[in-house]
Parts: sequence; C-alpha cells; structure tokens
Amino acid sequence: LCRGGLAERLCRLQNRERSAISFWRHQCISDAKMPSDKSGVLIVKILEMFEECTIQVAICQQLEQSPATLSSEDAVINAREPILKVLFARETAAHLKSRPQDVIHIYPPWQKLLLKNADVPVIMNTYFSQKVLLSEHSETTEKTYGLTKMLVRKNIVSLAQTFRLDDLDDELRQESSDQVACAPQIHNNCDLKQHHLALSAVNDSLLEMVESQGAVGWREAQVRVVIQRVYCLPAREGHRSHVQGNKPLWMFCRLCLLVQDAYGMFSEVQLQSLSSADNIEQYCKRWEGKFCCLAGMKILQRTTRGRALGLFSLIDSLWPPVVPVKVPGQSQDSEMMTTNLPPPSFCYILTIQSGEIHVEVDEEEQIANLYQPPAVHGLKEILQIGGCNERCSFWAQVLYLRLQAKHNIPINQREIWLFVTDSMLQNVVHNTPKVVAVSVAASCVLSTEITEALSVASQLVFFRDALWGNGRIICVERTVLLLQKPLLCSAAGADLSELTGPVRLDELDSTTQANSICAVRGTVVGVNESTAFSWPTCDRCGNGKLELCPQDRGSLYCSQCSEVVISPVLKMQLEVFLSCPSRSQSTVKVKVGLFVLINMLLSLQSYEVQSVLGKEVGLLNCYVYSITSHPNCVGLEEIVLL
Amino acid sequence: MDCTLPAVAEELLKEIKKAFQETSHGIDPFSFRLKFIFGPSAVPALDLVDQRSVTRVVSPSGRTAYQVLGSSGKLYTCYSSCHFCTCPAFGFTVLQKSESLLCKHILAVYLSQATGACQELTVSEEQLTSILLAGEEDDEG
Repeated sequence: LCRGGLAERLCRLQNRERSAISFWRHQCISDAKMPSDKSGVLIVKILEMFEECTIQVAICQQLEQSPATLSSEDAVINAREPILKVLFARETAAHLKSRPQDVIHIYPPWQKLLLKNADVPVIMNTYFSQKVLLSEHSETTEKTYGLTKMLVRKNIVSLAQTFRLDDLDDELRQESSDQVACAPQIHNNCDLKQHHLALSAVNDSLLEMVESQGAVGWREAQVRVVIQRVYCLPAREGHRSHVQGNKPLWMFCRLCLLVQDAYGMFSEVQLQSLSSADNIEQYCKRWEGKFCCLAGMKILQRTTRGRALGLFSLIDSLWPPVVPVKVPGQSQDSEMMTTNLPPPSFCYILTIQSGEIHVEVDEEEQIANLYQPPAVHGLKEILQIGGCNERCSFWAQVLYLRLQAKHNIPINQREIWLFVTDSMLQNVVHNTPKVVAVSVAASCVLSTEITEALSVASQLVFFRDALWGNGRIICVERTVLLLQKPLLCSAAGADLSELTGPVRLDELDSTTQANSICAVRGTVVGVNESTAFSWPTCDRCGNGKLELCPQDRGSLYCSQCSEVVISPVLKMQLEVFLSCPSRSQSTVKVKVGLFVLINMLLSLQSYEVQSVLGKEVGLLNCYVYSITSHPNCVGLEEIVLL
Repeated sequence: MDCTLPAVAEELLKEIKKAFQETSHGIDPFSFRLKFIFGPSAVPALDLVDQRSVTRVVSPSGRTAYQVLGSSGKLYTCYSSCHFCTCPAFGFTVLQKSESLLCKHILAVYLSQATGACQELTVSEEQLTSILLAGEEDDEG
C-alpha cells in the first residue's frame, strides 16, 4: 500500500474499529445486562427484511429515542411514521440472527444518511448492535426459530444502475468554466475556485506558487516559465507488462515538460497521458525554448537529488543558467542577478488538474534567453568524457539494431541495442572504435516514427540527453531520439556530415568484446553440419519461434505479433569454424546465413558442404554474441547492416 | 421494492467527491462508511486510487471506457454505461453470486472520479473499439 495513501489510512482506521467491535461484542456476551450508557442508542423494531449484496436491509420502526439524538425533524417523523431503513453488514446480521418483530438496540457510532428524493433515512455502520430478547417469549420463540431456517428475500441489483457523481450544481460549474471571459465571473453558490487564466497576475516564481498552495486563491496563481525540454515518460512499468506481443497498444506514456523560472528553479510538469510518443518531435519543435504560463497545478511530489538521479542529471546538464537569474528575496536590480549559484538540490514535480487546460505555451514568441539547447558533441568526444552519469547529445548513424534476447520479458520492455557510428569515428584510425554500442532501456520512450524508421533502413538519429557513464552510452528516461534536426543546437564539436563511402567495422581482434559488431575474415577450417537448418521467421518482427495455428493447422502463428504469418521468411544457417589471423588464439565460429553459404558453394561448383574447407571467407559483418576464455572461443553471427 | 443499496452507494460517493474538493483529507470521515457499504473492496480500491491506476479513455465521438491497472499488472476494462468489469472477481462475486455491488476496479473508477485521480487518455475510434471488444474475448480477465 502506498505510504500515506488513502488505502493505508482506511486500513489503520479499520484495524482500530475491528478490535473495538470484537471487544464490545465480547463485553456484551459476558455481561448479560445492557450497557448502562444509553445516550445515542437507536431502538428499532424490524418490520421487514431483505438482502442486497450481503448487506441486510431492515425496514424498521423506531420505538423510542434517547434525548441526546432527538431533533425537531425527528420528533415530527416519530409521531407519524417512524420508519427507518437499517443496514446491517454480513457479520452483524449473522451475529444478530434477527427476524421480523425483533427489537434491536443500535449503539453509536452509527451513521445516518439522508437520500435525496427519499423520505426514509438510512442507518448504517451498525456494527454495535444487539438484539433484545423479550423475556416472556424467549424460550418458546428460541425453540421455533431453532427449527426453521429463516429465508430472507434477496434483491438483485441491476448492473444498469450506474452512479452519477455529478450534481446539477456541478454541471452548472462545468458550464461556466468553459466560457471564455475577460472580466471576473461571480458565481452564486459555487466556491470561487474555478477561474480563468486572465484573472490573476502572472508570477515568475515557481517556489512562490508552490508555497502558496493551501492559501486562498492559490489555484489562480499563474507562473511564467521557460520550457527547457519536452519528453515523454513511461507511465509506470506495470502499464507495459500487460501488452500482448508486439502490438503498439497503449504505450501509456505521459508528455512532460522540464521548465525553469526566472529564479533558475526547475520543475517537471506532467501533462496528459498519450497513447504513444508519436508527436514528440512536433512538441519539441514547437515548445522547446518558449515561454509558457502554468496555472492551477497540483503538486505531485517534491523530489531531491538523491531520489531522482535521472531527473537531476538532466537538470545538471542545464546548469549553470546561460543568462543571469534573479535572486530570491532581493530587490531586482540588475546587479542582483547572478549565474553563480549552486546546482539545485530539489525539484517539484507538478501535474495538471484533470479536465482543465492549464498550460498556455506562447508559440509565437521568440525563444527565451534562458533556454539552453542541448550541446551536441561528436561520438569521439563523448567517449573521452571523464565523468559519470552525464547527459550528452549527439548525432549518429544507426548501423544495426538488436533486441535483447531474453524471452520471458515482453517485447516492448526489452532493452534495444543500437550500433552507431559517425563520420569522425569512421575516419579516425587508432585507439577509438569505429562503432559504438548504445543501449536503449525500456524506460526510454521511442516514438512509432523512430521504431519504424529504424527497422527499415540506416538512419541518422539525433540522440538528445542520453546518459554517459562507465564507458557506455545509454538512453533512459528523458532521453529523446529524434529524426529531424532540432531548431537550435550548439554543434561545436560535432561533424554532421554524411558518411562517405561504405561503412567500415572494426576487425575482430583480441580487444573485441561481446555484444559488439565487427568484421571478420579467415579460412574455413571446419563445418558444423549438425547446425545446418532452415526455419521460417515472421516477416513482421523476425521471430524465429513460430507455432502452428490452433485453428488452422496449415498456417503459422507468431505469438509476439499475435497474428497469423502469411508469408514467412525462410532463414538458413550453418555454423562454420574460421581460422582468423587477427585473433589466432581463439576458435572462431560463425553462424553464416544463406547468402554466404550459397556463394561459397556456387564458387566451388559443388553442393558438398565439406568442400568449403580451406576456402577464404572475406570480411563478413558479424555480431559478437559470445566470448569465452575457457575454452577460448568467439561466437559470431553474420548480420546484415541496415 | 426498489433496491436501497445503489442509492446509498451513490450518495456516499457524491459526498466523498464534495468533501474531497474542500481538502484532500476530507475523505477521512467517509472511510468507515466506504468500508461498510463496499466491504472488502474498499481498501484495494483506495489502493488503486493511490496508485493512480484508473484511466478514462475517450474517443472523438464521445464514447468512453475505463481501464484500470490491477494489482497483478493486468489491465481491466470497465464500462461507463453500466457496471461491468472484465476481471474474474466481477464475474464471480457480482454476476454469479450477487454478493457485491461492484468489484474493486469499478469502485476505483468511481473513487478516482470523486478524488480527481483519473488519468485521461484520448484515442481513436478504432482503438476504443478494440478496447471494448477485447474486454469480451478476454476469458482470463
């Protein structure tokens, strides 16, 4: 249960109540007399009983009432028709074993509910109830009751009877808030909470707005901030786990803004849920760097550096501010503005109240001075950065894409590995790898445009605010992959030129590591014929594990796409052993595909697999799936670059 | 005789909504009544509200449905035009045994409406259709 949440609070109250009820009942049994304290006791006689969803509804006549609870209204009702509807919970009913004509004492704390359009009040929370046995008849009645089982009519509640939580009052309020007004609207009965952005003065401090929450009129407060970044956050891991297969159903991400006010303070504003991150590029283009007015925010959380490393690594990349910011509490002379402030240690996460639009972005206006576009660097520079958990932005050509091979994780929760390069890495000779592996965590929301584009051809992708640390580049929450060039970016060290000539991969050597791509050449020294086989794969997702269709045994079914595969792609593979001069100590085994195989065989004009022994295999592009030291073996899989 | 319980439940939820608009602690006095009327569903439903598990899905034509992320990670669909939920507890406790008015997911939908904790999602007509249809075919709930 969430700490401090509604559920936890109810649980605590419940536990206290439960022990109170059992204590009370125990007392009643052991002490045959009625408790002496009679104030607030409701005395009723049951006229009729029935059951609705385990709750016993008893139409009762109120017999007498202690003075404490008597009101003028009650007195009038009492005289004419003191009818009540008393509800008993299942356990209470079982304890009471009541029948029509029984007299029940209901002890406080019971609660009365008056329904609109109904005359009969409803009594509930009747846990502390006790049946009064009328002494003369008790023996005989007990015997009779003991023999016959009492049948209680059960009312079935119609499912069509839904609950409407909106009153007419609420509807009135709804209508008035839809109107656009420049002048203040005075409402008769409603509270003055619903107002329009035009009403209140614009503030420029997030902190002031947050701290005034709780004060009257805080919902009217407006703050003017600069949108530094726009991105999508995944809506909790749980949302993804239900998605079946590969279907791009409810990715459930939220559009978020990282905003900064005139004092340099940051806040993350979570806007509406999106079904996919499809228009993220549009939002980034239209909103980043612009001013916007926030109103009527709800504070979701106040988070600190220690608890939100990801968020603060992004904030740090925007610190110090590029223009001087105001200093709180001081008069705003220009000398008082500064850029020399320590980096923020806390950040408010805000969200909009549901249903009302509270964010007005000034798209026409110019880019704010405070806006800090991402600093773009070349991959080579990034690889040489010393620090850890630094946000970095770069352009790169994606050469190859690989999904993590774990099968018990749904496809859209898996890590994706992108193997990327740029022209500088391609042209530099020593000490830097030609290709870098970038891992995309499941928490990095990818738009459909990106995933579709990546699966089709090699793309030049802009990685914005990726994380660099421990020698790896990873894309996490708040990293955005874009296809188009962002409006403004300082591309100091970056070489955005297209790749000239064919892509070159590093050749397999002693420094090659697992989960990388490389080029390999060598002589065929062995063929593992037992590995030769062909299998159908799904033409949509490449799934090699197709099943027979349950309905139609002739067709194939892909469980990841959850669809029948109409035209499967036939893959063939054979494992060959190579002797590679570049890594002579290791046994190199390569799973080669159909193309290489057929080429080799055709050139030999033979269909004997064994005749490939001794043949030169030149510069194959491969993915290194395993490197073991004992035995010293390198496992490669031939790949086709995008 | 007309049923009593639905009217009581509706009134209770309305009062909770009104109280919550005053202050988020306004719900406390209603805790006992919630527990009394809705029984074992009350705490799990509030838990779902705390975790903001309820999403109101709307399509351009105005059709709505609710999706609730259950505690097991499964997503259940609740209809807005009648009390229906795709979870197994609903089928058993409400439909079969009539032991409960609602399942915890439907109650969470109402409580989220009352406390403003409903997430909003706009989808296309086709997407909403597939949500509503999936609710029928999904045997496991």
